[in-house]
Amino acid sequence: MTIPPKMRDLAECLLTYEAIAGNAPEPTESATLRVYDKLRQSLGTFAGSAGFQVLASRALVLARSEAPSLSTAQVTADGTLQGLNERDPQIEMDKDRAAENQAGEGEVILIARILGLLLTFLGEALTLSLLRDAWPGAAFDDRNSGNGRKA
Amino acid sequence: MSAQDKVTIHKLPTGVPGLDEIVGGGLPEFSFNIIAGAPGSGKTTLAHQFVFANATPERPALYFTVLGESAIKMLRYQQQYTFFDPAKLPGSIRFINLSQIVLEKDLGSVLEQITREVEKANPAVVVVDSFRTMVRRPQSDMDLQSFIQRLALFLASWQATTFLIGEYSEEELRDNPIFTVADGLFWLRQTAERNSIVRKLQIIKLRGQASVPGLHTFRITDAGMQAFSRTFGLSGHRRVSPGETRLSFGIPELDKMLGGGIREGDSVLVAGPSGTGKSVLATQFIAEGVRQGESGIVAVFEERPQAYAERAATLGLDLETPQKNGKLEILYLRPLDLSVDETMHSILDAVHKIGAKRLVIDSLAGFEMALSPGFRADFRESLYRMIFALTGIGVTILSTVEVDESFTEFPFSTYSISFLTDDIIRLRYVSIGDQLRKIMVVIKMRGGNHAKEIREYEITSEGVVILGKRLTDYHGLISGLPVHTDPSEPK
Repeated sequence: MTIPPKMRDLAECLLTYEAIAGNAPEPTESATLRVYDKLRQSLGTFAGSAGFQVLASRALVLARSEAPSLSTAQVTADGTLQGLNERDPQIEMDKDRAAENQAGEGEVILIARILGLLLTFLGEALTLSLLRDAWPGAAFDDRNSGNGRKA
Repeated sequence: MSAQDKVTIHKLPTGVPGLDEIVGGGLPEFSFNIIAGAPGSGKTTLAHQFVFANATPERPALYFTVLGESAIKMLRYQQQYTFFDPAKLPGSIRFINLSQIVLEKDLGSVLEQITREVEKANPAVVVVDSFRTMVRRPQSDMDLQSFIQRLALFLASWQATTFLIGEYSEEELRDNPIFTVADGLFWLRQTAERNSIVRKLQIIKLRGQASVPGLHTFRITDAGMQAFSRTFGLSGHRRVSPGETRLSFGIPELDKMLGGGIREGDSVLVAGPSGTGKSVLATQFIAEGVRQGESGIVAVFEERPQAYAERAATLGLDLETPQKNGKLEILYLRPLDLSVDETMHSILDAVHKIGAKRLVIDSLAGFEMALSPGFRADFRESLYRMIFALTGIGVTILSTVEVDESFTEFPFSTYSISFLTDDIIRLRYVSIGDQLRKIMVVIKMRGGNHAKEIREYEITSEGVVILGKRLTDYHGLISGLPVHTDPSEPK
């Protein structure tokens, strides 16, 4: 099972958004954790923390097979993420730079996997609705293809 | 207190076609309702349709899920329905999972959480799915009653229309305090009748307005739930009195026998054994109507519309063109699990759509077979309701019915429904010489005089043709084995 390009783009978009948002004050946690926690809160509200926990666990298992750097990451019983490499992903980087930074790549993959599962279970329209609710300032509408990347 | 001093209870659309009429025009605003039924009976679908019909960004719907079906799976399946508008989530419709608090805390904490969410969102609609699982742990009667009372009071005060969904059995109706508190109680049933599944709903209780009593059938399709009222959506309609206009068959001799034709708004039964031309007569009746500019509907159960039109074409009757022009609808109704109410809904839809004046039901036997077994038992009563309702809106109905040929009896119908019909035309075979010939007689016409004679007819490439010469030389024609009365004439 490969990640749909659209979900990978969407994950990068969210990580970029949080990376920029986290630049102003001193960020206390990585953009990845901020994205993850927003997803946890948003999905936890409607699916329950147990619902999010199993979804995130499944995503982590799928992501680990592509990104060994995630081997230390764990989804705890309450759905929080632990053991993640704390480096901020340089998601605006090109493919070569991504290769140099496996931890960042793994985090993109993890987020993309969570989004991919949402896409599988809920479809694109509902997935985007949930993301718009969690990130009211972000724009997702013009991401119509796997190649379309938000500037 | 005058009518203008009374509070107006606004009625909200249920979002379920047919259900608004059943509940008396819509669901009372701010009511506290229970949707009960067994698993798979359509409870969640009904709640979703109501939610999607009423939630707005200003007054959203809060949909609390508890234990049972997960919200993700619920949305996965529910979005398959055409009423599901993903754009309404999460702005207008917000799903909130209460599983954890239900599992770990008491009812007081659950109420606090619901209170917090309601105060935050100011919802117009609140759903708890499933309420049964929320109170599954043993509670004292006082605790449970107090919780329900406080919940109902709070939600009504916050001007929310509420649905609590639960898998209750009918035995619980007497003892469970929730049914006492509820303003509305919707009971959904799904029963197997031999190989057919029949869904029915009952409004057991609805405060503040009159709902249509009884069990109403409903169906769940891609569009969601559709309910079929026992009053066929005609509540409050004024009954049209039969007029003096006569409708022609397009067979001058037959029209003459009928005193000028069938009286508009009558129900006509054409009865006869197989092969006597009942369907041919019915086709000529509908085709003549179309020729005169009257729209018509043919409800067929035994052959496809295409085959029906092709057979009409062999009689020189064009049913294709009027179908294209919106003057004729041929409805094929044969799912084998129909209810009369559902059939009636299809017919009424077509009547309203094309303004039909004539309806052919070909045949009653096929219609009966298309019904779920449970409804066949009530066929006579259902036919009565249907014929009464359709003639009440001015539609003239011609039904065909096959009767077993007997040489000792002369039955009009196998259903003992002749009292339902205004007019009866009986067709039969007679054995004359070495030929099996056909005769017809008008048995009854409620609206006036009709010819008493028995006429011989043939089915030709032009349809039913009544022969000019009357069979006056025979005695006992209706026995099927007539005796020639003039031995000098050839038999």
